[in-house]
Amino acid sequence: MITAFIHKFSSPKSFVVLTAKLYPYFICIGLCLISLGWIWGLLFAPEDAVQGNSYRIIFLHVPSVIYAELIYFFMAVCALMHLVWRVKLAAYLIKSAAPIGAMITFIGLFSGSIWGIPTWGTWWQWDARITSTLILFIMYLGILTLHGSFSNLEKADRLMSILVVIGVINIPIIKKSVDWWSTLHQPASISVSSGSSIDPSMLYPLLISVIGLGFVLISLGILSSRSYIYTREKNKKWVSEYV
Amino acid sequence: MLRLISIESFKLFRKLKSWLGPLLILVLVLVAFPLSIDISQYDLEKFYFSIIVVSLLMTAFVATEGMFEEDFEDGSLEQEFLIEKDFYKLALCKIIVYVLLIGVPIAFIGSIFSFANGVAIGSFPKVFLLLSLSNLLLFNLFAFGNSLSINKGAMLGVLSSLPLALPIIILLGRAIRSVQFGDGFSEMIALMAGVGLIVSALMPLIISAALKTHID
Repeated sequence: MITAFIHKFSSPKSFVVLTAKLYPYFICIGLCLISLGWIWGLLFAPEDAVQGNSYRIIFLHVPSVIYAELIYFFMAVCALMHLVWRVKLAAYLIKSAAPIGAMITFIGLFSGSIWGIPTWGTWWQWDARITSTLILFIMYLGILTLHGSFSNLEKADRLMSILVVIGVINIPIIKKSVDWWSTLHQPASISVSSGSSIDPSMLYPLLISVIGLGFVLISLGILSSRSYIYTREKNKKWVSEYV
Repeated sequence: MLRLISIESFKLFRKLKSWLGPLLILVLVLVAFPLSIDISQYDLEKFYFSIIVVSLLMTAFVATEGMFEEDFEDGSLEQEFLIEKDFYKLALCKIIVYVLLIGVPIAFIGSIFSFANGVAIGSFPKVFLLLSLSNLLLFNLFAFGNSLSINKGAMLGVLSSLPLALPIIILLGRAIRSVQFGDGFSEMIALMAGVGLIVSALMPLIISAALKTHID
């Protein structure tokens, strides 16, 4: 039953048809929310007592590193689907999500470096959290390189999926790095069990930015995967009929 | 299994570059390091293990480079697939042979050199065990990287699998601290041995899946 469900709703054609209606809404919602979050955070949220105005980069840094990990996790789920049920769409989604993941991880690292100068006095530190995030970035590049090095794309899809599944081990390491080592990077300020240590006047715009960036990234992912599906399925009849 | 182990041992012995190269690289790094920096014996003792960690990474990578390439090029992999329908045994045997013939000597050399760099002679079994288990983990990991890239060059394999070395480096770092400070060494070794056994049992499955993809 699960297999039938997956195969019905995971054909590239169904995905293209379904997302054609969805992604304009996602872009609008995402841009509105991210604008609201950033305007609120940058202009109306109070100045931090210790860090002054430099903390405001949090509205870019935190959402980007959250999605750097989430995108990899999404790719791992897709990789598992591709390996277990041989879902073609799952491989297409991994290939489309990897550059977005690499981009958002780079933004997270770069914004963290900028934030590091006024707060830590250095733009880079071989700290556990930062280093493990850099490794995540290298992992994204490795996945893209691996896929790009094979001319047989079906073979490339499967090898890429294997690597993605194995690489998921880095995600809990990144998450727990601030607890396992004594790091310069602060521990999580928002947690499910103990709530948030951020003042609500800063927390709300941050949450709005996180949700907004999520919608923007989903839209980017949809656009990227649609374009990749057209390229991969260009010889299929449905593509010529649909496009 | 024994048939495969003897074949793989013979093949590895025949390829002088594959087993002698990593050992010589290790010796070169361990000799060159104390000569290249002007630090006191006390400081050397503190830093030496970090150099061993980096050397292990490098030598494990060099040793496993082209692990499956020759078999892929000469058709042995296809033949093995026709006989066994799987590469689990082949991958397992290759890793065992590589660990025994290259990994264990590397661990031995690393342990011997550690005395010359201020580590207490009583720590020999600890250092040897630690380096042997680390090699077991690293050889598994790089064998996986190699099975992904197979004949596409070593850079691709290392780029793909090096990030996965992070958990191994974490374990190794913790174990090294336990050797240096004599605290919780048995627990760390038990953990590394456990992880090593799990990885050694599971990694050939993953390698087998990757190799099958190349054969398909």
